[in-house]
Amino acid sequence: MATAAPPRPDGATPALLRDLRSLQVVVFHPDDADGQELLGQLRRIGCQVKAFWPPQERLPEDTGLVFFAVRPEALAEEPAWLKRDPLPPVIAVVNYENPITIEAVLRLNAAGIVASPVKSFGILSATVVALSQSLRARERERYVTRLEQRLAGLRKLAKAKTVLMHSRGIGEEQAYQLIRSQAMAKRVTTEEIADAIIKANDILSFEGK
Amino acid sequence: MLFSETGVTAAIERSERLATQLAVEEINASGGIGGRPLELVSHDPQSSPAAYRTLAESLVADDGVKVILGCYMSSTRKAVLPVLERWNALLLYPTLYEGFEYSRHVFYTGAAPNQNSVQLAEHMTRSFGSRVFMVGSDYVYPHESNRIMSDLVFERGGEKVAEIYLPLEAKPEDFRAIVKRIKTQQPDFIFSTVVGEGTAMLYRAYAEAGLDPARMPIASLTTTEAEINSMGAQFAVGHLTSAPYFQSLDTPANRRCVASFKARYGDDKVTNQCWEAAYFQVHLLADAMRRTDPDDVEALLRALPGSEFGAPQGRVRVDEHNHHTWLKPRIGRAREDGQFDIIEEARSWVRPDPYLVSHTLEDWSVRVKLESA
Repeated sequence: MATAAPPRPDGATPALLRDLRSLQVVVFHPDDADGQELLGQLRRIGCQVKAFWPPQERLPEDTGLVFFAVRPEALAEEPAWLKRDPLPPVIAVVNYENPITIEAVLRLNAAGIVASPVKSFGILSATVVALSQSLRARERERYVTRLEQRLAGLRKLAKAKTVLMHSRGIGEEQAYQLIRSQAMAKRVTTEEIADAIIKANDILSFEGK
Repeated sequence: MLFSETGVTAAIERSERLATQLAVEEINASGGIGGRPLELVSHDPQSSPAAYRTLAESLVADDGVKVILGCYMSSTRKAVLPVLERWNALLLYPTLYEGFEYSRHVFYTGAAPNQNSVQLAEHMTRSFGSRVFMVGSDYVYPHESNRIMSDLVFERGGEKVAEIYLPLEAKPEDFRAIVKRIKTQQPDFIFSTVVGEGTAMLYRAYAEAGLDPARMPIASLTTTEAEINSMGAQFAVGHLTSAPYFQSLDTPANRRCVASFKARYGDDKVTNQCWEAAYFQVHLLADAMRRTDPDDVEALLRALPGSEFGAPQGRVRVDEHNHHTWLKPRIGRAREDGQFDIIEEARSWVRPDPYLVSHTLEDWSVRVKLESA
């Protein structure tokens, strides 16, 4: 019986999966059976892997993914690279499942979990899901930032229009046209003109008092 | 059997080893399992997780062992787990620990936090106050135990004066420095999750500093008769321990058991909560083996859950769902002879709840009963 192909918008294998071979992976894990299993599997997948223990203070510049062995007794101070922005996704490797360990995982803002004893099966999925989730999170953050900027711009524009409407005794549409024509004449954005109007008004009203 | 003869936790593991031997001898003296004696294959894992793992592997893979009795620190249990899962073997683990684990291959016969921490916190905050100074060995059990104790103390509006971790290999001067801080900060009580040889160093440093256990005692889950025996009883007097079993327990089963232990291993030997769990878990195992095919791990996995035994502490029961054990919490205060006065006792056994995140002090208050003061 024929089955339909799974839905794939552009028909090709997702870029995330195709790019795994160039992915720079940093592994912070003790050199034990679990560490060996993890490294071995990442190398089988074809990632570029570097391993360190204990965890380093700095991450190599081109790091695309971090595996981090969570040892509650070693997490008194957080590694400095955790504050890096943007931070590559972190997959926590856990050997205990008690609340202090889970708390430590949350502090790492982990995008995924691999359980000890480490099995080769599951590491690929964990890797790809973590990459994809963190990519989406970053896109969402960028989108939110853009929206916030646009919202701030709109607020400024509204305020500048009010200033013009009061000082010139004109309607809202006329005030907007005035700002727009100024922006076009000076080749700047309407937001910058609005900003200048608000600032000028602040100074003038201060002098008027 | 994997209990350390050497290394930092050798003293307590040695007592678990002797308890296991005693139980095996009893079982073999009464005919073994269907006429076949139990045979103990034993190694010394030296209190080291790596050695535990290697030895477990060789026991299971080379010697054909199907059931391991052993482990003390959680790190050693974790080291053995993958071996059990790979070779389909069982571990019976007779030590209290911090909870949050279930493996189909492990039976946990020591106390879970809801069977010792809650009771200890309740007793300490009620009797001494809720400003606590925490000191522990630096591994997972102390960290997690302190999390639970902190929550319980905060629930009483209390305060964590300090939370300090020392390496397992810490030296007496490290403990003297801690005690100096205790003296300055004057907490209501000290919660110690120090294990192994450090225990003696802590209690000695406390005594040397002239602090008074009647006013500001050390409360512990792991300072048993075995640790007191190694440190010298005079250093432990007045300090408190929460455990489901103490040697001084006055039950017919315990009197008989302690007597035969001393007759066999010497009058100077003491028992303790880990000893007792190590003892009764062999009997639980033997009973299960008698009821089913003793060589079949899957059959034992069906037979052990729900099974009961009249242990020295009273009746115990292996929980069907989480493989931990129903136990009877008690609070003991150390005496001059190195034994404990049992000053509180639960009315009945308490169901083990290893995945309980938020403990509440009410858990115990419904069962608390003051025996003597």
